[in-house]
Amino acid sequence: MDESRPIFVQIAEQIENDIISGLMADETQVPSTNEFAAFYRINPATALKGVNLLVDQGILYKKRGIGMFVTDGARAQLVAKRTDQFSAEFVRPLIAEAAKLGITSAQLTEMIRKEEK
Amino acid sequence: MTNVIEVSDLTKNFGSLAAVNSATFTVSENKIYGLLGRNGAGKTTLMQLLTGQDFASSGTIRVFGESPVENAHVLERISFIKESQRYPDDFRAKHVFRTAPWFFANWDADFASQLIEEFRLPLDRRIKKMSRGQVSAIGVVVGLASRAPLTFFDEPYLGLDAVARQLFYDRLLEDYAQRPRTVILSTHLIDEVANLLEHVLVIDQGRIIIDEDAESLRGSATAVVGTASAVDAFVGTREVLHRDAIGGLASVTIARLDRAEREAAATAGLELSAVSLQQLIIRRTNTSEKEFQSA
Amino acid sequence: MSTVLPAPFTPATPVGRIINVVRLHLANPWTTIFMPWIVLFAVFLANLAIWWIIYTAAGGATDPEVTEGLQYSGATSWIFVYMIVVAAQAMSVTFPFALGFGVTRRDFYLGSAVTFVLLSAMYSIGMTVLSVVEDATNGWGIGGRMFSAVYFGDSWPQRLFIYFAIFLFFFFVGAAIASIWVRWRATGLTVFFIALGALAVAGVALVTFTANWASVGGFFLRAGFIGSFAWSLVLTALAAVTGFVLLRRATPRN
Repeated sequence: MDESRPIFVQIAEQIENDIISGLMADETQVPSTNEFAAFYRINPATALKGVNLLVDQGILYKKRGIGMFVTDGARAQLVAKRTDQFSAEFVRPLIAEAAKLGITSAQLTEMIRKEEK
Repeated sequence: MTNVIEVSDLTKNFGSLAAVNSATFTVSENKIYGLLGRNGAGKTTLMQLLTGQDFASSGTIRVFGESPVENAHVLERISFIKESQRYPDDFRAKHVFRTAPWFFANWDADFASQLIEEFRLPLDRRIKKMSRGQVSAIGVVVGLASRAPLTFFDEPYLGLDAVARQLFYDRLLEDYAQRPRTVILSTHLIDEVANLLEHVLVIDQGRIIIDEDAESLRGSATAVVGTASAVDAFVGTREVLHRDAIGGLASVTIARLDRAEREAAATAGLELSAVSLQQLIIRRTNTSEKEFQSA
Repeated sequence: MSTVLPAPFTPATPVGRIINVVRLHLANPWTTIFMPWIVLFAVFLANLAIWWIIYTAAGGATDPEVTEGLQYSGATSWIFVYMIVVAAQAMSVTFPFALGFGVTRRDFYLGSAVTFVLLSAMYSIGMTVLSVVEDATNGWGIGGRMFSAVYFGDSWPQRLFIYFAIFLFFFFVGAAIASIWVRWRATGLTVFFIALGALAVAGVALVTFTANWASVGGFFLRAGFIGSFAWSLVLTALAAVTGFVLLRRATPRN
C-alpha cells in the first residue's frame, strides 16, 4: 500500500475495499465516524474527512438520525472506478518491471496463465 | 468557527533570551492541536502565558475573548496539566481527586473513577512516595475528567510507560469524540500523537514556524527512493527538503506528488515512501534527528 | 455523525471561589488542624510533668513563691511559631497547586487570609477555653499555668483578644515571608533577612545613641497591655498587604 498519502484518503480506501469485498453490502449501515476514529486511533475529524470523501462520490449517504449507509449500486460504481485505475496502478508497473528483467510479453502471458490455475 | 485563543505578536523575555518571540496564531474551538517542538523551544513558556501563570513581556493574548491574566472567568474554563506540577506536602492522590471537582464545574466523577482504576493509581499513597509515572497519571486523570472547555497537556505523560500513554491517547480520543473540547497537546514525541492531531503548531526557538492543518501537513511531502541518477532526473527542479545518499542510492524528500506524478515515478522504477509527521517537521526545521528522539 | 454533546459550564460565584480556596487549604487537615493541637497537647503534657515534679518536690504546698514561678510558662510559644510553618507552606506549596487549578492570585490570597483568620479564631477560642479551665482548676490542681500565664492577660476576654492577635501576626508575617520566597526565591529571602537584620541593628543603634529607650518604654506603657497588642495588629495588617502585593506578580516557577 502506498503510504505517502493522507490518512483520510487511506480511511476512504479501506471502506472502499470493504465494500468491494462484500463485507459492507449495499444499503447496509457502516460504523460511525467516532467508531472509525477509535478503531484506527485517529482524530475523529480525520475520520470524518475520509467518510465525507465517499459521501461526495456518492458511495455513502447519510440517513438523518440513524447514520451512514452504503449507497445502492456503490459496489458496482467502485468496481468500475478501480477497473479504470487497474491499468495504471498494476499493469504499467508490471510491464516496466518485466522490461527491466527482459521478460517478453509472451512470457508474461504464460506466467499469468500459470498463476491462474 | 470561533477562536478560543488569539495571540498577537506575543513575546516573553527572560533576561536577554526571548523564550517566546513575536508569536501570532489562533486556536479554533473544539479541535485537537499539537504544540510541537524541541526541548527548550518555548512550548511550556507559551502555555504558561496562555494560562495566565506567567506574564507576557509584550503582545496580546485573548482566551475566550479576554485576557487570561488574573481572570477567574477565563481560568475556570481551562485545565492546565503539566509534568512539573507540585502538590502540597502530605497530599495523597485521593486529596487531589477530592479537591479537583471544586474547581472544574464539568468534572465527571464516574469518568475519573474509571481512569483511576485503569491507570492503577493508589489513592491512599502519599504523592511524595509515588513513582514518576503515577504522578504523571494523576495529572492525566485530572486533565481528562475535568472536561474543561480548553485543556492543555504539557507533556504530562513523560513519566508514563508506553501502555499508559496509549491508554491516555485512547481515552482522550474517546472522550473528545463524545464531548468535543479544545485540546492542546505539547510534546516532542511527535510520531506517537501524530494521528490524534487535527492542527499542528511547531515552535522553534520561541518562534512559530509551522501553523497548519495536520492532514495537509502530513501529505505535503514524499520521499523518492531509487538509483541516484533516476531520482535526480525525476526530481528535476522541484524544491528539495532533504537528500540522503548511500552508494548509488538516493532518497530525496520533496513536496507532495499527485496521482499522475506518482504513476510516473512508478514507471521510472522509483519507490515512493512515506514521510512521517516527525520526519517532516525535522526536515522543515532543519534540526538534527537526535533532538526529537524519545526521552 | 452521532450526536455530540456540547460541554456545559456553570461558573462559580466570587465568594464561592474564595471558599474553595479555604477548602483547599483545609483539604488535608493534618498540617493545618490536627498537628498543631497534637503539638500543643504534647507540650502541655511535658509541662504538666514538670509542674507535678516541682509541686511534689515542694511538698504539695501552695506557697506563692513556688506558684509564682509556675506562671511564666512560655510553652505556648511553640504553637505560635508553628503557625509560621503552616502559613509558609500554604504560600509556597499550595500556591503553585492552586494556580494549577486555575485559581487567580487574588482569590488565592483572599482565600488564604480567610483561612488564617478562621484558624486563628479556632486556636484562640480553644486556648481561651483551656485557660478558663486552668483558672477553674487552679492550675490543673498543681498550680501550673500555661494557657493563663501572665503574658496573656488576666481575664478571658483579654486572653481571647491577645491570642487572636498573636496568631494573626504569625500567620500573616509567615505568609509575607513565604511570598518573598515565592516571588524572588532564595536570593530574595537572603536579601530580606540581611535587610531586616540591618534595620534592626540600625534601629537599636538609633535609639541607644539618642538615649531614647525611655521613650520606647513609655510608648508601651502609655499603650498599655492590650494597647501594645493592638499595635501589633498594625504590623499584621502591613504584612498582609505586603504578602498580597508580592504574590500578585509571582509565578509558579519549577
